[in-house]
Amino acid sequence: MRKSVLFLAGAAATLCMAGTSFAADTIKVGFVDTYTGPATTFTNDVLDGFKMAAEKINAKGGVLGRKITWVTRDDKFKPDIGLTMAKELILKENVDLLVGTINSATALAVSDLARKEKIPFIVTFSKSDKITGSMGHRYVFGMNENTEMAGRATAKALAKKKFVKYWIAGDDYEYGHAIANGVFDHLKTLNPKVQLLGQSWWKVGETDFTPYITQILAAKPDFVIVATGGGGMVNFQKAAQSTGFNKKVPFYQHTAIELSTLSPQGQNAPEGVYGTANYLFYNPETKENKAFVEEFRKAYDRYPKSGALYGYMTAEFIARSFEKAGKVDREKFIDAMEGMTLDSPVGKMEMRACDHQVTLPMFFGVTTKSPKYDFLIAGDVVSIPGKDYMPTCAEIQKARAK
Amino acid sequence: MRRSAAPLLVLLLLATFLALPQFLPRFHTYVAAIVLLTALLATSLNLAIGYTGLYQFGHAVFYGIGAYGTALTLTRSGMPAPVAFLVGPLAAAALSLAMGLICIRLSKLYFGMLQISLGSLVWAVVYRWYSFTGGDDGIHGIPLPDAIASPKGSYYFTFAVTALCVFAMYRIVRSPFGKVIQGIRDNPVRAAAIGVDVRLHQLASLVIAGFFGGVAGSLFVVVENSVFPDMMFWTFSLEVLIMCLLGGMYTFFGPLVGASVIVLLRVFASVHTQYWGLILGTTLTLVIIFLPDGVLGLFVRRSLPKEDPGA
Amino acid sequence: MDSAANLFSTGTLSQILVGLSRTTILFIVSSGMSLILGVLRIPNVAHGSLYMIGAFAAWSVIQLLGGGLFGFLAAMLVAPMIVAAVGFVLERGFFSYLYEREHLMLLLLTFSFALILGDLVKIVWGPEYRSVTVPAFFQGSAEIFGLPLPWYNLFLLVIGPCIAVFLWLVINRTNLGKIARAAAVDGEMVGAVGINTGWIFAFTFVLGSFLAGLGGALIAPMVNISLGMDHSLIMETFLIVIIGGLGNMWGALLGSLIFGLTQSLGILVWPQFGIAFPYLAVVAVLVVRPRGLLRSTW
Repeated sequence: MRKSVLFLAGAAATLCMAGTSFAADTIKVGFVDTYTGPATTFTNDVLDGFKMAAEKINAKGGVLGRKITWVTRDDKFKPDIGLTMAKELILKENVDLLVGTINSATALAVSDLARKEKIPFIVTFSKSDKITGSMGHRYVFGMNENTEMAGRATAKALAKKKFVKYWIAGDDYEYGHAIANGVFDHLKTLNPKVQLLGQSWWKVGETDFTPYITQILAAKPDFVIVATGGGGMVNFQKAAQSTGFNKKVPFYQHTAIELSTLSPQGQNAPEGVYGTANYLFYNPETKENKAFVEEFRKAYDRYPKSGALYGYMTAEFIARSFEKAGKVDREKFIDAMEGMTLDSPVGKMEMRACDHQVTLPMFFGVTTKSPKYDFLIAGDVVSIPGKDYMPTCAEIQKARAK
Repeated sequence: MRRSAAPLLVLLLLATFLALPQFLPRFHTYVAAIVLLTALLATSLNLAIGYTGLYQFGHAVFYGIGAYGTALTLTRSGMPAPVAFLVGPLAAAALSLAMGLICIRLSKLYFGMLQISLGSLVWAVVYRWYSFTGGDDGIHGIPLPDAIASPKGSYYFTFAVTALCVFAMYRIVRSPFGKVIQGIRDNPVRAAAIGVDVRLHQLASLVIAGFFGGVAGSLFVVVENSVFPDMMFWTFSLEVLIMCLLGGMYTFFGPLVGASVIVLLRVFASVHTQYWGLILGTTLTLVIIFLPDGVLGLFVRRSLPKEDPGA
Repeated sequence: MDSAANLFSTGTLSQILVGLSRTTILFIVSSGMSLILGVLRIPNVAHGSLYMIGAFAAWSVIQLLGGGLFGFLAAMLVAPMIVAAVGFVLERGFFSYLYEREHLMLLLLTFSFALILGDLVKIVWGPEYRSVTVPAFFQGSAEIFGLPLPWYNLFLLVIGPCIAVFLWLVINRTNLGKIARAAAVDGEMVGAVGINTGWIFAFTFVLGSFLAGLGGALIAPMVNISLGMDHSLIMETFLIVIIGGLGNMWGALLGSLIFGLTQSLGILVWPQFGIAFPYLAVVAVLVVRPRGLLRSTW
């Protein structure tokens, strides 16, 4: 018993190991994100996009004479580890600001922490609309689209089409329901004629969709809104391809046309699938986009995906905001970033002052084979500008007031 | 000689933990708080598994319910904070009783598997009931009374509650009740033969374990101000089980040691490497090969007969 | 409520067939788990990792040999053998020394290996999604009562019983199998008769690993091959083994059938909550027959 007590005392002593580190003359960015498991394919792009921009900025002398440095912490897609890592970055690593994460629960928890610690937190990839919506505040910024935005943009595109009888299916978790409701609720207000025949929900990580597909086909809807999350995208598309579902009933998935979904399937991805995405490396074919793609390919030997755009612009916003602020002060940084508009590979992006959400175009298209690439790409692409589909500042204020 | 030294060492340990926030940076104080509540959780599990011999594979659900009970009371009902800290553990105890009544007819592995299944059902309900529990987003920004909301306040509260509960559990295992449940663990048939109500004692043990697991959960709310459905997922149940086994299942302080090691490893290994699984797995493997009764088992030999796990 | 009427529509036959094809993968993986649990008394938490390695290994083989029918069949054989080799190393290198240890410690050891193997997969194959396409031979689907059933699912439907028969032959007709069954019931006795139980255990673990790898290889063309696959099937596998009866091959089959069919038929009745049905079935079975439906070897 005494030895066990001694051991515990030793454990207490080990807590006193490693002092805190102090930022030298740098701007230290702390990444808390998921670098384990299936989400890594997305988060690596964010980090690489950020690195590309930061290295470029540093080469030109940095920001206010300081270099941008970054540290990463893996939250393993678990919110409690994410919170711990965020605290470690703030309290021990003394980062100037936080960036992350793909997990919505973690993002919300860290956002709350950022508010208490008064440190800016830039969210990349997490799609919960609460982040800059009902639970938004001064210290959190959204660098990507959320379910509300995707829903509205898609509803706009679908409202013009002739489909009436809808079916909703998807991954049975918050993201799935948010996307599905986001699309259908807004669709209903734009086109009151649409009807919901029914819904199917499967567990996150479902691998065999055949029983669900056959059941949906038996119900004979005109169109299906498929609300799958990151991992489920490819699984569902594979099932659609092998059952010929995409040829029988048109369906939509958010990010169906993204590179991350289509490239692993090569030429065997299903055609005719409707989808939305924030970034396509081949569209628009502007000088800025082409330069961005070229640079990314040279540095990382692959095409950039949406995450790369988010990471890249995060670095840009950070640098320009500190420059405008004139000093490395968190409050001045926030004031400077509000309302800032920067050039990006997809055109001008504005960081809205009212809700700290960045405006970006949404691309709506259909999966099509292409002679140029050995994977499918989006065809019939319609680009919907941010101001046409994002919730208005008034709506955000109302949501936050509740 | 040993008996008089031990309380002194315990006092020394308590004093160390008490003084911690004064000389440690904020982050380490926070980690210490996590270590303490996890240690409480592991000790509560050990009540069921080490002392009563029940294969408690789904313990995390009591932790989670304790946390959610406290969180929901603080955020949704108008009731004062002390009520919330009672609601959580009591809900966990109630659930433990309910699940116990269903599972207790089974033995060993079957008991554990059924408990996991039922626990998964509870998890699924919490995960999907977005409007009430926040679904897979969890609940954040939970308001706490000022005294315990600050970093030092939350630490001292956690420390006080943990110390009290661990002390309570220590008294329980040394009491006649504690002797009876250990007797049941070693030989249930014989215990029944001498007139002990085996089922009743096992249920009582489960309820107590569930209650203290729930307390650990409510402490999580104090330290992190958030709750997540992951807290009651079966992989976390296994992790807590690992803490008990690692530290030594047949000693009282074993789970405390195991919890400290796992939490510290998780925090500090994660900081330096993304291959935390490899590190933890290798460490565990080494411990298993060279320390057959867990870390603390090295010091406290168990002299009990091996038993057939399927019986 | 007309959802119940759906049960009697033409979709039902299609759903039953789909449910049966699901059963195949579940059965293959669970039988491996059941074997290991029955003979070695170890709940193999690393079983999911072995399954995942099977899927990644199949991908690698197909990368090497091309995606045609030959490459695919070769992957179905080579990938499980790779996993079996991993299982052999684990058993001979670690488990074999620790059988006399505390039972729960062995559970802990398999958990450690699950952690190690998970990270090893990340190191060897990296974090990106991998994808294997169904060979041209199996692409597309057949029409059953107007509803599509992919040829690949039909293939699984056929392969399942073949594997079941093969396993039955190995366990009941070969000497090795019979000895393994005897060792499951009374290991000491088998040892006393002069048989080297060590090699029996090794054989069992290797066979169990082979089955896990085969499950992973077979499911590879249908899914996103990714890290995290190790967690996807492990809960179902444990539950199937428990409701079927520990160590009982037919039990694993029965459990898999229950799982596969309750889910696919449940979807017809109540698509919104289809996922709940198999778990409700498990709870129902365990409340009525706590030791599992069929006799366990313990």
